Amino acid sequence: MGLDYQLVLWNKHKKTYDKIIVFSMLLYVILFAIVTLAFNSETSAETLIIRAFGSLAIIMLHIILIIGPLARLNTNFLPILYNRRHLGVSMFIAALIHGGFSIFQFHALGDTNPVYSIFTSNMDYGSLTNFPFQVLGFLALLILFVMASTSHDFFLGNLSAKVWKRLHMMVYFAYALIIAHVFLGAFQQETSLFTIGILIIGFIAVASLHLITAFKERKIDTTKANEKEGWLEVCDISEIEEDRAKIFTVENERVAVFKYDGKLSAIHNVCKHQGGPLGEGKIIDGCITCPWHGYQYLPNNGQSPPPFTEKVATYELKLDGKTVYINPKAFDEGTEVKPCKY
Amino acid sequence: MELIINVFLSILGIYFAIGFLFGLYFIIKGATKIDPLMQDTKKKVRFLLFPGVIATWPFLIGKLFKPKTV
Repeated sequence: MGLDYQLVLWNKHKKTYDKIIVFSMLLYVILFAIVTLAFNSETSAETLIIRAFGSLAIIMLHIILIIGPLARLNTNFLPILYNRRHLGVSMFIAALIHGGFSIFQFHALGDTNPVYSIFTSNMDYGSLTNFPFQVLGFLALLILFVMASTSHDFFLGNLSAKVWKRLHMMVYFAYALIIAHVFLGAFQQETSLFTIGILIIGFIAVASLHLITAFKERKIDTTKANEKEGWLEVCDISEIEEDRAKIFTVENERVAVFKYDGKLSAIHNVCKHQGGPLGEGKIIDGCITCPWHGYQYLPNNGQSPPPFTEKVATYELKLDGKTVYINPKAFDEGTEVKPCKY
Repeated sequence: MELIINVFLSILGIYFAIGFLFGLYFIIKGATKIDPLMQDTKKKVRFLLFPGVIATWPFLIGKLFKPKTV
């Protein structure tokens, strides 16, 4: 949140997060080098770098892809989700080192343009076992470049949230290219069982977690609520944790019903910043805090605290005994609604 | 196949070349025209945004010609 753009939006938590990322990356590369040299002491420095950063990028990409669904299934994973943007940029740097060294070692030492050489040094495009797999890695790197270079609020604001989201959903296409890059490469080069193993386990984890989350969300969206005099039954009040929310679908829109300080408030579930699920966040310092990037909204009016200007729609709640009911008609964004006391 | 590769890489090259020129314009002058918030933003942020501007220039160039709304 800001009235101008910062180089990097850092706070204490994000700095800690970034230190952990850098430390973990360095530790991985060092351990990878030690293990590789222990088994094959003749491995060249270039090969070591290419393999260490390639496998590191793949592991990081898997973490990036699974933390979204994991955080939806278990809120304990939310702290990892909180700074996923920096994790993504770090992953791109690892992939760039892998790609850069590969291009240098295999394509830059001749008299052909290195990029042209990637596409033409092996023209066996019709073959499965001899397919020029490096092309796939190059295309994946291009996609990751677009994503990493637009990981700043300036682009979110100026490309529009819709375009930005579409660009960043291309990560799944990049993931498919990377899987093909590694598997097709395995037919032609000495690829370790470790890398292939990570890829198979990773793919199963990514696919299954996305499917489980999709089924869970479908259940939320298709659950028929009981209606009582125009009000829809949400849940028993005890089902909502303190300072947390229950997500409920009202007229095809997801609403987050928050419980805090003996009160209940409901706002639209979608954060104005990047479409983050507000209902998966929690109340911090009296504000609903988006789990993705920490954007905040006041629960009673859906407005970001001044001087910020983001607003989301609000909803009216009522209690009947211990049952929470919601008025399905949304108020305009930023409308004050008296919290329901219990 | 070689023809397809040549066409693809030529388009890619032209795209990034235009993006690079647009990126230079963005750093020197265009940033504040695209987004008023850039006026109060430190100059070094423009250099950080440079690669992204190269990558997404077709989306940003249109903002230069859109009438400003108050």
